[in-house]
Amino acid sequence: MDSVKKSWVFRLTVAWFILIIFFAIFGPWLPLPKWDEVFDNALSVTPLRQGHLLGTDSNGYDIFSGIVYGARISLFISFTAVFLGGTIGSAIGITAAYVRGKFDYVVSTLFNVVLSIPNLVLSLALIAVLATNVDPNVPTSTGRRILVLVISLTIVIIPILGRIARAATLSWSNREFVLAARSMGSKDRNIIWRHIVPNVLPAIFAVAFLAIGVVIVAEASLSLLGAGVPDGTSWGSMVARGRNDIEFAPHIIIVPLVFIALTVISCNYIGDVIRKQLDQRQAKL
Amino acid sequence: MLLPAWSRTMTTTASGNTAHLRPADQTLLQIQDLVVEFDLGGGRVVKAVSNVSLDLVEGETLSIVGESGCGKSTLGKAILQLPAPTSGSIVFQGTDITKLSKKDLRNVRPAMQMIFQDPVSSLDPRFPVSRAVEEPLKIWNRGNEAERSAKVDELLNSVGLDPALVRDRRPYEFSGGQCQRISIARALALEPKLLICDEPVSALDVSVQAQILNLLQDMKDAYGLTLIFISHDLSVVKAVSTRIMVMYLGKICEIATPDELYSRPLHHYTSALVGSVPVPDPERKVSANLLEGEPPSPLDPPSGCRFRTRCPAATELCASEEPMLRLAADGHYVACHHPRA
Amino acid sequence: MLKLENLEVTFATSRGNLHAVKGVTLDIAAGESIGIVGESGSGKTVLSRASMGLLAPTATRTGTVTFDGKEISSLSREEVRETWGTGMAMIFQDPMTALNPVRRVGSQIMEGLTVRLGLSKDEARKRAIELLGRVRIPDPEQALKKFPGQLSGGMRQRVMIAIALACNPKLLFADEPTTALDVTVQAQILQLLSELRIELNMSMVLVTHDLGVVAGHTDKIAVMYAGEVVEYATTKDLFARMRMPYTEALMKSIPRLSTPSGSRLPVIEGRLPDPTKPEPGCLFASRCPYAQEKCRTQHPDLTTDSNGHQYRCFFPLGAAQ
Repeated sequence: MDSVKKSWVFRLTVAWFILIIFFAIFGPWLPLPKWDEVFDNALSVTPLRQGHLLGTDSNGYDIFSGIVYGARISLFISFTAVFLGGTIGSAIGITAAYVRGKFDYVVSTLFNVVLSIPNLVLSLALIAVLATNVDPNVPTSTGRRILVLVISLTIVIIPILGRIARAATLSWSNREFVLAARSMGSKDRNIIWRHIVPNVLPAIFAVAFLAIGVVIVAEASLSLLGAGVPDGTSWGSMVARGRNDIEFAPHIIIVPLVFIALTVISCNYIGDVIRKQLDQRQAKL
Repeated sequence: MLLPAWSRTMTTTASGNTAHLRPADQTLLQIQDLVVEFDLGGGRVVKAVSNVSLDLVEGETLSIVGESGCGKSTLGKAILQLPAPTSGSIVFQGTDITKLSKKDLRNVRPAMQMIFQDPVSSLDPRFPVSRAVEEPLKIWNRGNEAERSAKVDELLNSVGLDPALVRDRRPYEFSGGQCQRISIARALALEPKLLICDEPVSALDVSVQAQILNLLQDMKDAYGLTLIFISHDLSVVKAVSTRIMVMYLGKICEIATPDELYSRPLHHYTSALVGSVPVPDPERKVSANLLEGEPPSPLDPPSGCRFRTRCPAATELCASEEPMLRLAADGHYVACHHPRA
Repeated sequence: MLKLENLEVTFATSRGNLHAVKGVTLDIAAGESIGIVGESGSGKTVLSRASMGLLAPTATRTGTVTFDGKEISSLSREEVRETWGTGMAMIFQDPMTALNPVRRVGSQIMEGLTVRLGLSKDEARKRAIELLGRVRIPDPEQALKKFPGQLSGGMRQRVMIAIALACNPKLLFADEPTTALDVTVQAQILQLLSELRIELNMSMVLVTHDLGVVAGHTDKIAVMYAGEVVEYATTKDLFARMRMPYTEALMKSIPRLSTPSGSRLPVIEGRLPDPTKPEPGCLFASRCPYAQEKCRTQHPDLTTDSNGHQYRCFFPLGAAQ
């Protein structure tokens, strides 16, 4: 573990992650132009020209500002979806694995069914149902679209983390200390809270990081399909907006894509490090 | 998955296999006709324990020996209702605990505790030792925090561990023997009357076994415990028991005092078992009459006497009629149609 | 057949160098059976793996290993591999992890035959059936098609023995072969090993913690403690004239059928010395009831008495000879 902590890859990864979070939290207070401020005399400018660190897009919006503001939305959506999905999924998965029997059977089947539907198809369907008004001509508000995005991605994440929680609980609840706790007269809910959850949490955590990466990419894909946040504040919608300019001003989509890629890679790496630390700890047991 | 609840109300035909039981008012624990079966689905039922009756007098140590698959571990857990047996009665301190409600059963638990085979997995790897030993006290709200802490120290001392050194450490920092001591301390926290030890020394190194066995003996004297000692190791069991019960494929074969059982085994299985134990004496001839073959599957045990497929003295009677436990000598019972002379 | 000279094995760990085996010298003749007895941490398993050349790359091995006249300790891994199967073979404690659970038993036995002996598939199959019969597995033809998970523990151990014997090795290492088995099955397997050994005139090294197991099945016994051989004698002589306090303490602390019931067992106080911190003096001194000042400062070498009985003690038990 120490060798990992000292390696420059790990430090770089953590630094990147912190940077993105910094953008997400303090974005609006940074001395940057607003993301939708138009610079008429600087359309489709490549990076490091005319005072725009990452250039501008065809509408004159500063890309760097877009990234900073976009970080808010992308991270908000992914963190929330993973947190909610993880909590709900884990609660269901842990209970099912501890109780076993019919409840477990129903839960596993449900998980498997939802997991078999491709992420994007599922979220598109949910968005289509929840985010459109009866009159197709009236656009839905940004707030509502974001809410629906979060809900649909939460539903996608529930079985992913739920299955992990269930599998981990199955292996932990067979350990003799759980049997010992029952023989002492401990109530089931106390056993779950005090014994199962603390031991299962690390495994869920490790996968949760991977899930954040999954959701960031899912949100970007949905935006590309036009089902994401409409007014182009997220990284995905920046890509969507810039797709027409690939030939002449590729930087417009490359910049957000690079940010998405690096953020997902750093999430995956951190999740991997957590998993390895877990395995080491397990080996000691 | 156990058989459905309604089948438990079906009265099992009294097996009559109770010749060895003593009057109920003299015993701490009396089990009659205990059956534990597991339904694997598709009509396959594992008959782990079939019509076993036994009793315990306060202060004795009853050992249950047998090889893997004989049902001894299942029996131990069934006594604690973990999970509840398929049928049969378990009368503990005058009450049939199989008939209790969930709440009443919970209230009986402090009086019956268990220690397990794998010392390390018996403890939650995240709990420091003090928390693990304190847990039963917290569950039952015994005393305030200071009183509980003092009790934990007292318990750790009595099992031979220095509280100052072990309190804040985690199980993975200890050896198997030390973990087993911690488990024993935890089991004694509620001052139970009955302690069931499920293979407590099998996972331990040979030289540590002696330490733990001595400790159990000391604890038994100090706390006035009654022990059920489950093991596959005949030598270990000889040192600690008042009485020994031999099981094979879910049934009792023989019950006797240790000296009687090992010097005069009447059941053919017991004799094969005793004969197979390696003895550190090069002069002793390796036993010529080794047991042939493998134990049958508990899914489909042989009719009549379950040992008949490997028994040198089996006859047609053994296939058609199940032998009952009969008195052979003082305190010595055997379930065999043709016991050894 | 097998000669170990001053064998030492050290593992590099995060806590320092772990000395698992310290200066072991042993001699095993053809057809002889020797037992290596010790508790966990004595180094007995590392010793047998080191002799075969099966150690992990983190281990450093010094000293010489001579097998069947050839010195094999300086050979590369590929070259040593040639001796496996036909020269030396090993069976392990847990047959479930030693056998591949997703391959049929037949294919696992035949692998050695086709690869090492160059037999054709038909010839290998016939030989496999013959081997299974020899290890007394009922209905060998059917057994070939089974997976390890479908067999009982005793059966799996027999399969492992069959695989080990497939290429007629001259020396068999049996590393705790019966520890995981029921006592009646253990007796069958030990009996089988003894019979096969005599039939094939094979040498055997039986590694175990159980003095009872070695008593009936070995010609000589080496007792190991903390990486050293502390006593080495013929089986009869070891039990009749025990010289090491450690061996005596071990014998006394093991519960036996003859132990009177309700008795307290004598216990070996203290713990094994830390293998990463070499200490002066006898390694058993801190736990020895007969230890004197000399024992704590000087490290005893192996002494041999007139019967060829070796022991590592300044004040051995019994009358000095």
